[in-house]
Amino acid sequence: MSLPPHRVDYLPMVDRPNISWPNGARVALWVAPNVEHYEYLPPRDPRRNPWPRSPHPDVQGYSHRDYGNRVGFWRMLEVLDQHNVRCTASTNLAVFEHYPDVGKSMADRGWEIMSHGIYNTRYLSSMSEQDEREFYQDCIDTLHQHTGQRLRGMLGPAVSNNLHTPDLMAEAGLTYHADWLHDDQPVPIRVNDGCLVSVPYSIELNDVPVFLHHHDTSDFVEMVKAQFDTLYEEGAASGRVMALALHPYLMGMPHRIDGLDEMLDYVLGHELVWQATASEIADHFIEHHYEDFVDHAVSLQAANDAR
Amino acid sequence: MPADRSPGMDHPHYPYSPLPSRNALKWPNGKPLAVGALVLLEHYEWDPPQDAYSLRNASGGLIKLPAPDYVQLTHREYGHRVGIFRLLDTLERYEMPVTVAVDALTALHYPWLMKHLGERSCEIVGHGVSASRLITSKMDPGVEAGVITNALDTLEQVTGVRPIGWFSPEGVESAQTPELLAAAGIQYVCDWPNDEQPYTMTTPNGNLTSLPLFLEIDDEFALWNRRASLDSWENMIVSAAHRLHSDGRRSARHMMFTLRPWLTGQPFRIRTFDRALGQVMNLEGVWPISGSELVAAFNNADS
Repeated sequence: MSLPPHRVDYLPMVDRPNISWPNGARVALWVAPNVEHYEYLPPRDPRRNPWPRSPHPDVQGYSHRDYGNRVGFWRMLEVLDQHNVRCTASTNLAVFEHYPDVGKSMADRGWEIMSHGIYNTRYLSSMSEQDEREFYQDCIDTLHQHTGQRLRGMLGPAVSNNLHTPDLMAEAGLTYHADWLHDDQPVPIRVNDGCLVSVPYSIELNDVPVFLHHHDTSDFVEMVKAQFDTLYEEGAASGRVMALALHPYLMGMPHRIDGLDEMLDYVLGHELVWQATASEIADHFIEHHYEDFVDHAVSLQAANDAR
Repeated sequence: MPADRSPGMDHPHYPYSPLPSRNALKWPNGKPLAVGALVLLEHYEWDPPQDAYSLRNASGGLIKLPAPDYVQLTHREYGHRVGIFRLLDTLERYEMPVTVAVDALTALHYPWLMKHLGERSCEIVGHGVSASRLITSKMDPGVEAGVITNALDTLEQVTGVRPIGWFSPEGVESAQTPELLAAAGIQYVCDWPNDEQPYTMTTPNGNLTSLPLFLEIDDEFALWNRRASLDSWENMIVSAAHRLHSDGRRSARHMMFTLRPWLTGQPFRIRTFDRALGQVMNLEGVWPISGSELVAAFNNADS
């Protein structure tokens, strides 16, 4: 008997079918800048206050983030370009409408655009099922209209979600969900209809929690290097995923940007790294390993039932 | 009601005992420092019962999000799927016998993992039902006794061994917990991080040994609650071990790590723990030990 939410089978890391990435890579690295717009006067949400510091507007919090789109994004872009990184931009899709310059820069570089909702101040946690269906259509249409891209996956807006979200994502034709932080590999997510996988994102290798507390840029750089070293060692046996989660309003600051250069230099300086986008990771997993993982889960369950 | 200011503790669980006034404690072969690790396998529930009590600021995740908080729940689940193996491998490399606190929902719903712990000869200690159902003074003592028995029965059914040790979920007790644990046959409890040596607790239902964990180097306390940097954590661990090792020559000490697979088992953290533990185990005469071995050594030394 599985535990709620009944979506993921327990697969211990040490007893799984092996994952092989293209060209014998040990680590699939996806780099996810979060390109966001937080509304000045967001609609009131019954369960979550986007600006708890003061009555709305919170111009300080708003401006801190707005800096990302005005300044930080452009500084980060230079460093990402120097390293030829193909990002998976976790994007509030209204960014394409508010800041076409930002949208065009991402699209022109061939970045994958992952949905991060429409605004970072409108949450799935309080949305009705019907509204959420319309939300996916809006995300799909907005992305297609501005870039021609087909939407493949989502990190929930401000990592919001609800119990139906995976079913509705699969129904809308999305392939991957990044809200699952339980693993270093993609795993199948059980849905009513269709196929959905998790591509592990990170709230550890993520500038928001690191800099929200008192850590310095050098701490973040050391975390990234250590994370990579462990996954690179383990990836010799079976491929691992490493996500690097960034926010232009934080990592694009003048006192932090050299850290981004240093971490990319280190990680991409290794031979057996597949610098991929989230959908490339998901597609490879689905094509080569999804069935093995499902079968393995069934055999583990059968062994448990027999005990 | 005026406070009773008479000498000693303001509760009945144990007498005040200043360390320098105690008889010198000796570990076998004059070893100065026993080092152990309590690994926690805590299940965090997506849908806990309405009346369950959990910490308001439980660790993991990003910020407090509306339930179900995927971020926090899956962050913690990482420990059961991935982190636990890194932690066990690291401890095994230093020949550390591992003590694992397992809650009842983990024991019931992760049979593969339980078998694996058995194959690695881990000692299992009781750890309540889940991290979403704490034992607190809001609980009726009859209910609490049932929770303790249920947790121990479940572990016995799954592993074939009835645990003799206990660590309450999130280290939270009611005022009756020690006597209820003693009544349930528990011999040692890890809820009181107040000493560098084990000591005896007395209850109306018999004695318990208190096996204090080292709260300041507890991964959650240091790395999550205090957000110490990894370098700082490593320094804390190593300098504490040096001091305990030297003080332990006069009266032996123990040092008990508390480790969460979802936290220390993350790829970037495990390397720091590995480095720190390596330096601790390098000290001459350090004794790697399980919870029950430590308690037995204490009780034999005492007699």
